[in-house]
Parts: sequence; structure tokens; C-alpha cells
Amino acid sequence: MRAEELFHMFPQVMRSRWEQVAGLADRLQEIRLRVNVPAAVWIDNREWFVDAEGMLMDRQPGSGAYRAEELEMILKHLCQYSVYAFTDEIRQGFLTIQGGHRIGLSGQVILEEQDRIRNLKYIRYLNIRIAHEIKGVADKVLPYLYDSRGQALNTLLISPPGCGKTTMLRDIIRYLSNGTKYGRGMNVSVVDERSEIAGSYLGAAQNDVGIRTDVLDGCPKQEGMMLLIRAMSPQVLAVDELGSEGDIRALQMASGCGCRLIATIHGSSLEEVRNKKYMRNVIEGRLFERYLVLTRRSGRCEIEGIYDREGMRC
Amino acid sequence: MLKLLGSLGILIGCVGLGIDRIGDEKGRISHLQELIRIIRRIQSEVSYGKHTLPEICLILAGTCAAPYRECFRAIYDKAGQEAGSCLEQIWRQELTQCMQNVQLQEEEKEVLRDLPQNLGIQEEKYQAESIGQSADLLIRKCREAEDAYANKSRMIFSLSILSGVFLAILFL
Repeated sequence: MRAEELFHMFPQVMRSRWEQVAGLADRLQEIRLRVNVPAAVWIDNREWFVDAEGMLMDRQPGSGAYRAEELEMILKHLCQYSVYAFTDEIRQGFLTIQGGHRIGLSGQVILEEQDRIRNLKYIRYLNIRIAHEIKGVADKVLPYLYDSRGQALNTLLISPPGCGKTTMLRDIIRYLSNGTKYGRGMNVSVVDERSEIAGSYLGAAQNDVGIRTDVLDGCPKQEGMMLLIRAMSPQVLAVDELGSEGDIRALQMASGCGCRLIATIHGSSLEEVRNKKYMRNVIEGRLFERYLVLTRRSGRCEIEGIYDREGMRC
Repeated sequence: MLKLLGSLGILIGCVGLGIDRIGDEKGRISHLQELIRIIRRIQSEVSYGKHTLPEICLILAGTCAAPYRECFRAIYDKAGQEAGSCLEQIWRQELTQCMQNVQLQEEEKEVLRDLPQNLGIQEEKYQAESIGQSADLLIRKCREAEDAYANKSRMIFSLSILSGVFLAILFL
């Protein structure tokens, strides 16, 4: 992330407070804004507070607390004065802004019938997760993602939140699309439900996802997968964060259409994913040929292991 | 002979001024109509397209008439600059500059200039309705201006001739 990008996240009147943080923008991981307390930032896996003067402090400062109106102003600014355009995302508790940065939201929930969430009001807690496009993170895993004929293998990335699952997925997509020494470039279609993979703006990918990649932005995974198969006839279909039986059904249908699949799921191990009700059949049915497990050790994200369709370490 | 020519010049000058004034009135009506079209377009892009304000500016830059076309293009470009001002400030600055010499009353200019202040509603349907309310004032003003135009233009034209004749008589 560049300093200008960070400044652009805040209304002009608040930008002076972020000057010191902007100097460290390339190492910034997260910004947490909470009502009545100063902003907290995570830089190189360490938490810092930002005081009213914009100085970084390792304990809570006496100044720099954010008022409710300031948080509303930031939200309005992040939504480009178009909060209505982000209603669906806000309802789900997050929104994605230009560059693929994800803003988690919390406040008071408005419920409708059957206790479904209709909307969020009094949004007083914001968690800005900075998207990092790191090219080359998939270098080590590439040899395991192709078969002997150079075809991509159905791969599932398993990772706890914040371990670089989307970054890894994006890099794999880029390699599959551009082609590598292990296989020729393929037509890749991406269902980017939360605009995190490609970071699309006005429909065009902002991140490098490869020269043969088509992106369907902001579309629910189930509908998106079927639409892309019909419309773009992809050789590889990529989706982020499988989370329901519907997603799995769509994935199985896509596989039946001859597409190779690359997907991600939350979890800390293959065992944990296998225990998810909707994943059991998929794993036992050997839909995926490779499982790539990511983990965090002493604050660093690492590849814990690569497994084959039988669950044996490669 | 010279006196006659001078009187004729005065008469033509007065009529010219009258025609110019009528033109201003006509210009005001066409600007009001353009503003209504712009607000209606914004309303439909909000409710059907769910476009954000910068995206709407880009659409308007391709569809509306001068001087608004250039103004919306500038807003879109400046909003995309990373170290730029807030969209609300850019919107206000550009529209103030754009409408500086436009024959509209301050109250009418403010409707479009202050539009971002009305944008904060989370549901697109209510947001579109809120924008629509801004158009209501312009529609009323436009209707009043159209009704008044026929009578006013006749009156201005007659007055300009009469004042021309009066000044010519004084001159003679």
C-alpha cells in the first residue's frame, strides 16, 4: 500500500493525523477505529495507537479518540458519499473499497422478519484490513498445482483468517493465467464476491490477476460460478471463502462441466475442514486433488503443508 | 438626417437590450430543464444502477450538455486522484465554478451544489426519493419561469421599444 492510498481513505480534515502511519504504509496490516478511543494500527504484527497529533504510541494515548460523527464521516467518505451503493455489503458487515481493502463494520443491527439482518446503523467500529498484492508468494507451491500433462489440479487453500489466503489465491490465479514452466496459460474465471481478489473498480481489476483472467465482481459465488461457466467457458474457475452447502453444490456442478477449480476455505487444518458438515462429501469424494494449508507461526504466515487427494503430505 | 439615424440607433439599441434580457430568461429555463434532467438521471442511476457518485459523474460527463459535461468529468477525474480533496469539496468547488455565469438564482444553483449533503441514506430507494425531492423545487421554479416567460417577454419587448421611442424623442 502506498501513502497516497492511505490518505485517500480519510477525509481531508483528518489526513494530518495519518502522516506518520503513511510513512510506514507498505508495512501496515490493519487499522482499527473505535468510538471514543484512539485509532489502533497493526504494523509488522505489532499494535500501535495513533494520538491526536498523529504520533504512534505503544500504549493508549490520552488524546486522539474518535467521535461518532468522525466515524460516520469516514464511512461516508469511504463509500464515496454513496452509502446506498454498499447496502448489501454493509448488511453483511463489511465493504470493499478501491484497491481491494476490506472494511469490517460493527454497530447496531436492524432486524427484519425471521431475525434476518436488514441493515446496520450507528456504525461505530471499523476494521480496515489492508490488501497486499505480493507477487511470487505462490512460487513454492506451483510445482504441486499441475499434473504431469500441465493441467491445473483442483486445489483447496485452507487457512485461518489473516494468514494470506487471498494473497496466495491471487498469485496462483496470476500464474495459471499467464502460464508457467509447469503448464501453459489458461483461461481463468474469478468470482470475486467481495472484490478482494482482483480489487475491481468500475468493473476492471486493479490487482494483477493475469492476462487470461475474467473477473465477475460483487456476485454471490453460487450464481457467479454458473454464470461464468455459461458465459466465459473457463478452463479454471477460482473462488474465495467457500462457506455454505450452496457454494459446494455450485463447485461440484462446475467440476462436472470440466472446469479445474481453485478455492479457499477458513480452517486451520485438513482435519478441521473435513469435520465441516458440508465439506465431508467433497473431501471423501476426492473433488480436490491438492490441499494447501497455510498457518501462522511466531507472527509469520507460512505454508504448513501440501496434501494430495488422499490427505497424504506431498 | 444624422439626427434621424441617431434616433434609429437608440431605438435599435433599446430593442437589442430587450431581446438580450428575453434571451436571459429563456436561458434560465433551459438551464433549469438541464438541472432537472441531471437530477433525474442521478436519481435513476442511484435506484437502478446503484452507481456511486463518481461513477454517476462519469455517466453524466458523457450525457449532459455544456458546461455541466466538463464539470462532471473534472469531478470524476479529481475524485480519482489519491491525494485529492474529499468528493464533497470537489463537487462543491467544481459546480460553483461551472455555474458562476449561469443565469440561475442562488437557490436554484444550491440544489445541485449541495447534493452530496443529501447523500447518506443507506437504502437506494429512500436515497433516490430524497434526491427526487431536490428536483421538486427546480420543477416548480421551471414551471413558474415558463408560465411567466410568455408575458414577461412580451412586456420586456414592448418596454424596450417604448423606452427606445422615448429616448429617441428626447434626442430629437
